[in-house]
Amino acid sequence: MPEEQPDHDAAGKNRLISLSLPILARADFGQRHPGGLLPVLNSMENQPFFGKVALVTGSSRGIGLAIATAMAREGADLVVNYRRSGKSVEKAEALCQQIRDMGRRAIAVQGDISVKADVQRMVKEGTEAMGRLDFLILNAAIAPFKPIEKLFEKELKQLVGVNYTGNILCLQAALPHLEKTDGNIVFVSSLGSRFYNTSYPLGSMKAAMEAVVRDCGESLRDRGVNMNGVCAGLVKTDSFKVLRQLWEGIEQIPEELFLQPEEVADVVTFLCSPSARAIRGQTLVVDHGMSNRLYHGG
Amino acid sequence: MKQQLISEEDVIVEMKKALAETLRIEEDTIQPDSSLINDLGAESLDFLDVVYQMEQTFGIKMARHQVLEHVEELFGEDEAIDPDTGELTPGSVALLKLRFGEEGNQIEDGMDMDEVPTLVTVRSMARAVLDILDTLQEKCESCGATEWKRDGNKIVCAVCGEPGVFENGDDLTQAWLKKAQEEHKLF
Repeated sequence: MPEEQPDHDAAGKNRLISLSLPILARADFGQRHPGGLLPVLNSMENQPFFGKVALVTGSSRGIGLAIATAMAREGADLVVNYRRSGKSVEKAEALCQQIRDMGRRAIAVQGDISVKADVQRMVKEGTEAMGRLDFLILNAAIAPFKPIEKLFEKELKQLVGVNYTGNILCLQAALPHLEKTDGNIVFVSSLGSRFYNTSYPLGSMKAAMEAVVRDCGESLRDRGVNMNGVCAGLVKTDSFKVLRQLWEGIEQIPEELFLQPEEVADVVTFLCSPSARAIRGQTLVVDHGMSNRLYHGG
Repeated sequence: MKQQLISEEDVIVEMKKALAETLRIEEDTIQPDSSLINDLGAESLDFLDVVYQMEQTFGIKMARHQVLEHVEELFGEDEAIDPDTGELTPGSVALLKLRFGEEGNQIEDGMDMDEVPTLVTVRSMARAVLDILDTLQEKCESCGATEWKRDGNKIVCAVCGEPGVFENGDDLTQAWLKKAQEEHKLF
């Protein structure tokens, strides 16, 4: 399937808008407070990620959107990545506006992470606009929902291209910038890496990436960069709509075992925070305990 | 067996409700010949919501995979879509014209695969539901009765109330494809 080409003119225009709006947004925000702008700026400076920049792949919707929002709430400026033209552009721009309304800077950058040139452009545009990069959140994922033995060659190529190669391309492109800031990389995995899910070949790529987390947590140590992962349980995002059709009995799983995207996002922000400084090369399971119940059928 | 309990109009009524809820639009803006994508603004994930609601409403299993995916599974990878251009192969064009009948006028050589979902209308989706409902078994699996009745929007045994059993959408699509291939040798 041919990818829609990015609209470079539009991307450039958006960047200019995004760089000018934060000042207005902060000023507006400040005027609503009796103490004027200064108290607001002071409170922003107290935020743990104030002055830091996060790039979240696949953040126009779902868990990625929740992560971008949570990082901004903690004070980070955001590079919002989305894959395709169309409605994703509107969603990414709406998210950027929401972040700007929080007094943070935000820029939306189109890019298919399985395409090296796209990844390099995404990181270049993001770092040039924001001046630095502190956090790389590897969230983007795409996969057909069908049994592994039925995958066509083109589907296999996409599966590996986006969910393994693409993540590593992002890591490689971002590394020179992360080295300068003693940055953090967080990979968003899922329980499909450890348990059988019907028609979920993505699980095998998640497992491979969890091994990358373990390896890079160690190999990047001397370069001042840390890498961890979050292995999320069942989240009612878009992919749940597909799982619901393929996984008999999923509707019977107790509601309290489902995650909210924000709950995954909170753990991602924790892993980026100084509080998680002793955690390295680990993938934390975040699933309301669902995996502990699987062996006796929930 | 072809059932007479649920009509195309009945399905369209339910489909309008599902679309209005999913897309957050007014029901009266939805026409039977509205394209879900072009006219109503649906995205691919919205299809899943509507399909799910149709399944819950009528007690059926609709197809999980598009017809062109089934073509490649049955007749070989790259038989449906040109891997270099993303365009439909001549076999696919002929097949979709058969599949969509009069509504397939827009299908032409060189059509991009991404345009295929735009062909789906409220009516064509309703027909897919009816095709499945028309596979109702002759006899109730539970009591052997041959009389069926409508219970809300579900077809149940008139004697014991057991829900009717239907073929699923993927099996039905594959059966249709095999027949089409036998008759027209498209791939």
